[in-house]
Amino acid sequence: MEPPKERVKFIQTDLVLPYHYYAGDYKALYLRALKDKKILGSKCSATGKVFVPPLMSSPDAHAPCEEIVELPDKGIVTTFCVVNVPVYGRDIELPYVVASVALDGADVSIYGLVQECKAEDVEMGTRVQAVWKPDGERQGDHTDIKYFKPTGEPKAPLESFIHRL
Amino acid sequence: MKAPTSVEPMSQRMTVQFPYKRSTGEVTGRFLAGLKEQKKIWGRRIAGQGVVVPPNSYSEVDAKSGGEWVEVKDEGTITAVGIVAKPVADLHPSDASFAYVLVKLDGADTSLAHIVKDRLGELKVGARVKAVWAPDGERKGTIRDIACFQLVG
Amino acid sequence: MSKLRNVAIVGFAQAPIVADDPHRTAPEMLYPVVKQALKNANVERKDIDYQCAGSSDYIDGRAFSFSQVMEVMGAWPPVQDSHVEMDAIWAAHLVWVKMQAEECDTAIIAGFGKVSEGSPMHVLNLQLDPFYHASLGLDHVSTSALQASAYMAKAGVDDAGLAEVAARNRAAGAKNPDTQLRQAVSAAELQKTPFVTSPLREGYLPPIGETATCLVLAAEGKAEKMCDKPVWIHGVDHRIELQTIGARDLTSSASTKLAAKNAFAMAGVKGVNDAQVVELGSTTPVEELILRDALGLSSGLGGKADGPVVNPSGSPLCANPLMNTGLLRLAEGFRQLSGRAGERAVSGAKRAVVHASAGHCLQQNIVWVLGTERRWA
Repeated sequence: MEPPKERVKFIQTDLVLPYHYYAGDYKALYLRALKDKKILGSKCSATGKVFVPPLMSSPDAHAPCEEIVELPDKGIVTTFCVVNVPVYGRDIELPYVVASVALDGADVSIYGLVQECKAEDVEMGTRVQAVWKPDGERQGDHTDIKYFKPTGEPKAPLESFIHRL
Repeated sequence: MKAPTSVEPMSQRMTVQFPYKRSTGEVTGRFLAGLKEQKKIWGRRIAGQGVVVPPNSYSEVDAKSGGEWVEVKDEGTITAVGIVAKPVADLHPSDASFAYVLVKLDGADTSLAHIVKDRLGELKVGARVKAVWAPDGERKGTIRDIACFQLVG
Repeated sequence: MSKLRNVAIVGFAQAPIVADDPHRTAPEMLYPVVKQALKNANVERKDIDYQCAGSSDYIDGRAFSFSQVMEVMGAWPPVQDSHVEMDAIWAAHLVWVKMQAEECDTAIIAGFGKVSEGSPMHVLNLQLDPFYHASLGLDHVSTSALQASAYMAKAGVDDAGLAEVAARNRAAGAKNPDTQLRQAVSAAELQKTPFVTSPLREGYLPPIGETATCLVLAAEGKAEKMCDKPVWIHGVDHRIELQTIGARDLTSSASTKLAAKNAFAMAGVKGVNDAQVVELGSTTPVEELILRDALGLSSGLGGKADGPVVNPSGSPLCANPLMNTGLLRLAEGFRQLSGRAGERAVSGAKRAVVHASAGHCLQQNIVWVLGTERRWA
């Protein structure tokens, strides 16, 4: 005698794993400051480069970044893409722009939407400014900046941000 | 401003879920079908290992494939026992205190891991236990088609 | 044994082992540790040829978790980097092999794991096969309890015997400023602690803890410049056993026995009693007893009076920061042989045997022999 020839082909093993993540002091400081419409970065003690969100150490110089600096909420679009298909969980009229924004004084970029303009009006070098959620609605997380909008200032020349791409 | 010190910790709870549908393969798939359809426990006679229960499609000793099916009894002897005092949610198969056991089923040369839910105080290495089967219609083709083991006598 | 390259441990640093560090992420815990280890070895990051880390994605709760620490280990200019999804002591072994192949002369080995952010019981369940064992909800404490019950039945050891082993480790831990549990507790007190999974009581199990660690290895020629007392690797081997816990003899450790035999042969020593210090990666009293048998240490609970000192650090029973636990054993060997063991120093120690384990019920075991002198002329 033998077990049935017709085997059980699959078993369902749904893993359910509980986690309790800590942001760490650097990210906690950064996120809480957004509530007050402040964007914080950290400065490398060896190279002077400014990282935003702030890092404890610089990736390139392996040096501590112990100084916290406040950055303006203005900068330039370095690179960007135009989204033409709907993304689950994001209810925005198509097409829209997702951009890499180098804030003035920062050596790395953060990501954000660019709104209040046509997608075709966004270029590399377009000057933009953060549009914040109104007072009382900001929670201290990355959605506190709703999006960036063009400031209307002249476009920055490529040479001025090519090192930040 | 200096680097952050003694910032109030910020944290977030999150449950990470991975839905995996795992292919059983020929030997595990037929072993599980034996539990589900026949209420029988099948082992494989594998060179170098004897009758292996639960069975693999290969020898864990020398990685050779092969072997023949051998039916073993659904009753056997406890070779190891640990009683879980406070079961952990979303992990352990019981809300109340229960025991894990390794059982060398009669006719097998290796021990099967399973659980015992009753008479925990009487469990010990050498004690005899028998499988309690999940009822017809509730067996799904998993190791839990044996609902648990219970002490004999 | 043919002649191999002399490789030494030349530096080590660790973060304090704590139940939970709510202020720092894993890379933030590791960064100052890497900097300190480099400082301890009198070098800059640019002097290091190779880096390798040991960690686990499931412990950290993120995919490709190793990528988060590259920057804090040093990533630029582009470095040689590797990773093992194992305790960092296996990363140290990988680096030792790299050095034998003359691919590098200096290396840093890092361990990290934010154990407090996840549930070790849920995570270690996933080390078992999904069909027959993981789906029963088996966790590492339960499998250790199964092993303990099998060993106790065979060897005739009782609850008091387990308490005695645990108490001896807790007493040793009280002298180790770098471990987590630093209070001596008597066997009688430990026997009053509740069962977690019988026969294992709370007092016979390690606390939940986390840390970050960094070890510096260097080959002969460079090692002497990096450390006043380099600790040389004389032998190493690791072996693995069957995954199915019911298909192997849980009451002995064949893999430790074989790994030790090979490591001793490489080191040119007769056996474990040629060492003055033995550091075991035992996370339960029963694991210690099984390992003592496997290594050929006198199996009596106290050991022979003239035998090596076992677990001067207090063993993983005093601190078990997953992914670092093994590397901390190697660090203890380094500290004992290089005059860095403080109050718990074993006097006159010239040779150490270090063990670490991975998997459920001592599934995989690594054994190292360390010495104060170079192994090969």
